[in-house]
Amino acid sequence: MVQTDSAALYRRRKQNPVLRFFSLLWKQRALVMLCIVPMALLFLFHYGPMYGVLIAFKKYDAGLGVWRSRWVGFDNLVEFFENVNCFKIIMQTLKVGIFSLIFTYPMPIILALSLNEVASKAFKRGVQSISYIPHFISVVVICTMLNEFGSLNGLFNNIRQLFGLPRVNMNAGTDYFMFFYIGSAIWQGAGWGSIIYLSALANVDTSLYDVANIDGANRFQKIRHIALPAILPTTTIVLILNSGNILSQDFTKILLLMNNTNRTELEVISTYVYTMGIANGRFDYGTAVNLLVSLVSLVLVLTTNRIVKTIDAEQAMF
Amino acid sequence: MNKMTVVNAPRRKVRNKIHIGGYTFDVVNAVFLILFCAIVLLPFLRVLAISLSSSRMIDRHMVGIWPRELNVKGYEIVFSKTTIYRSYGWTLLYSLTYTAISVSMTACLAYPLSVSDFVLRKPISILLLITMFFSGGTVPAYLLIRNLGLMDTLWALVLPGAVGAWNTFLYRAFFKGISHEIREAALIDGAGELRILLRIIVPLSKALFATFSLFAIVGMWNSYFAAMLYIKNPDRQPIQNILRSIVYTSVTATFSDASIAMTNGSVNTLNVQYACLVATIAPLLLIYPFIQKYFEQGMQVGAVKG
Repeated sequence: MVQTDSAALYRRRKQNPVLRFFSLLWKQRALVMLCIVPMALLFLFHYGPMYGVLIAFKKYDAGLGVWRSRWVGFDNLVEFFENVNCFKIIMQTLKVGIFSLIFTYPMPIILALSLNEVASKAFKRGVQSISYIPHFISVVVICTMLNEFGSLNGLFNNIRQLFGLPRVNMNAGTDYFMFFYIGSAIWQGAGWGSIIYLSALANVDTSLYDVANIDGANRFQKIRHIALPAILPTTTIVLILNSGNILSQDFTKILLLMNNTNRTELEVISTYVYTMGIANGRFDYGTAVNLLVSLVSLVLVLTTNRIVKTIDAEQAMF
Repeated sequence: MNKMTVVNAPRRKVRNKIHIGGYTFDVVNAVFLILFCAIVLLPFLRVLAISLSSSRMIDRHMVGIWPRELNVKGYEIVFSKTTIYRSYGWTLLYSLTYTAISVSMTACLAYPLSVSDFVLRKPISILLLITMFFSGGTVPAYLLIRNLGLMDTLWALVLPGAVGAWNTFLYRAFFKGISHEIREAALIDGAGELRILLRIIVPLSKALFATFSLFAIVGMWNSYFAAMLYIKNPDRQPIQNILRSIVYTSVTATFSDASIAMTNGSVNTLNVQYACLVATIAPLLLIYPFIQKYFEQGMQVGAVKG
């Protein structure tokens, strides 16, 4: 009798998706418990700020909190677009983002291809070990170095003097900002970025090289027809990831490279969000400007992915 | 006799098939790589040179990449104050707490997700995925920390980044690589999930944990922005923020005994700044040779698609 009951119960559970879900949940309660604390952290610190984004459309009052502050619609965004510097900030953001992508993206690939051509294992290891070192240097340290290197007595001016150029204060004004910003990014990221390409190159079928050698291919031909196709999927993924970051520069670095001679010219959206939103305490306005950037970045990633998909469906990310 | 010579002759290295052909190419390539390494190392030599040179030589821009008129006064000033030791202590505390929490929490989340018939696998994955493409931004995050009353506490630095989608997916990919038959066998033997995680999954994922712990330590050691926002107490500043304040605000505000030495010309501002810079990067660079292989492993885990 009891047996028939439980069998009937079991059948009913199997039929009802809600009951089935809860009975499975109960069965897997140990796994569910493992998730609870990390999911609480995720909700609090990732979804919490997403809820806070509401203040972009409000006049935020700390006393009233996010929910009870007054709605103002798109006033904060309108204020940004009416700002006289708005166009300048957007252009500077695009300029920094696009130039960084163009100049920092190829260097790890070149380095990986070059390292792949080295026959001596020891030499290759040595170069690799040295090339990773800058990755462990913080942005404060880098900017401290740049600060001195660009000064009148600095290293860069010593080098300029070698070539017969006059000593100039490279930290002042905006002339050398791009050189500092992008140059330091290449210096720091080239070696590290090459690792994923090298691991893709390590998987190349060596019989391809046998065939190429028999056909009498030279080194450039072998790079062009064997090594490059091997890293193509990786380069595509890295490009998609980087293109989403065009609007979100390393603003901590820009903040450190700013000084009184160039502050307004170097302002990009993310530094503007920080100065207005946090330093000047205009939380609602800063959030609104930041929201705009997040949405455009999201569109950028999705568009690049779509483009890649139309070219070669296999290499798209999602 | 003939046989002997063959055996004793140094074995000729068989050139890898990839590298056959083009001697000039090899030379140009090697020169390129050596030049690259020189550019990487040059700034470090310069920093050491300036930190160890006399004030007079620095001011007359006589210092290149080797120290001139050896002067260790900068280091004496930096290491004679308790400031530096205290900030080492705080930085270490922040880094280690962050590492412990982020690695354990991520593992706890990634393990259930690696079980293929886990009921909440889909919904949790979607919740994680959303955070990869959209975030609230700096300002709401700042307000959250402030409203939670976490200002000036360790938790403001440690908790927000502890669980992230990207790392969770990487951990999950790694756990999935462990044969699920081991888990099933353990279940039949009556082991609970927590026991399986601690006794089977964790010991088999030592490489993963080593790598991500090191990533976390280095990441926290090098961060300054979060501490700039959330840590207002001058006695709890991490090392990066000490460096930032002596370079961008003033040396004497942090190292008061530097002012006499600076006015009488025995020490240069740059001596102190660069001595502090060396103090900031030295711990990481000293352990770098020992941890390098784990970092490379980690990067390769990261190369796994999705």
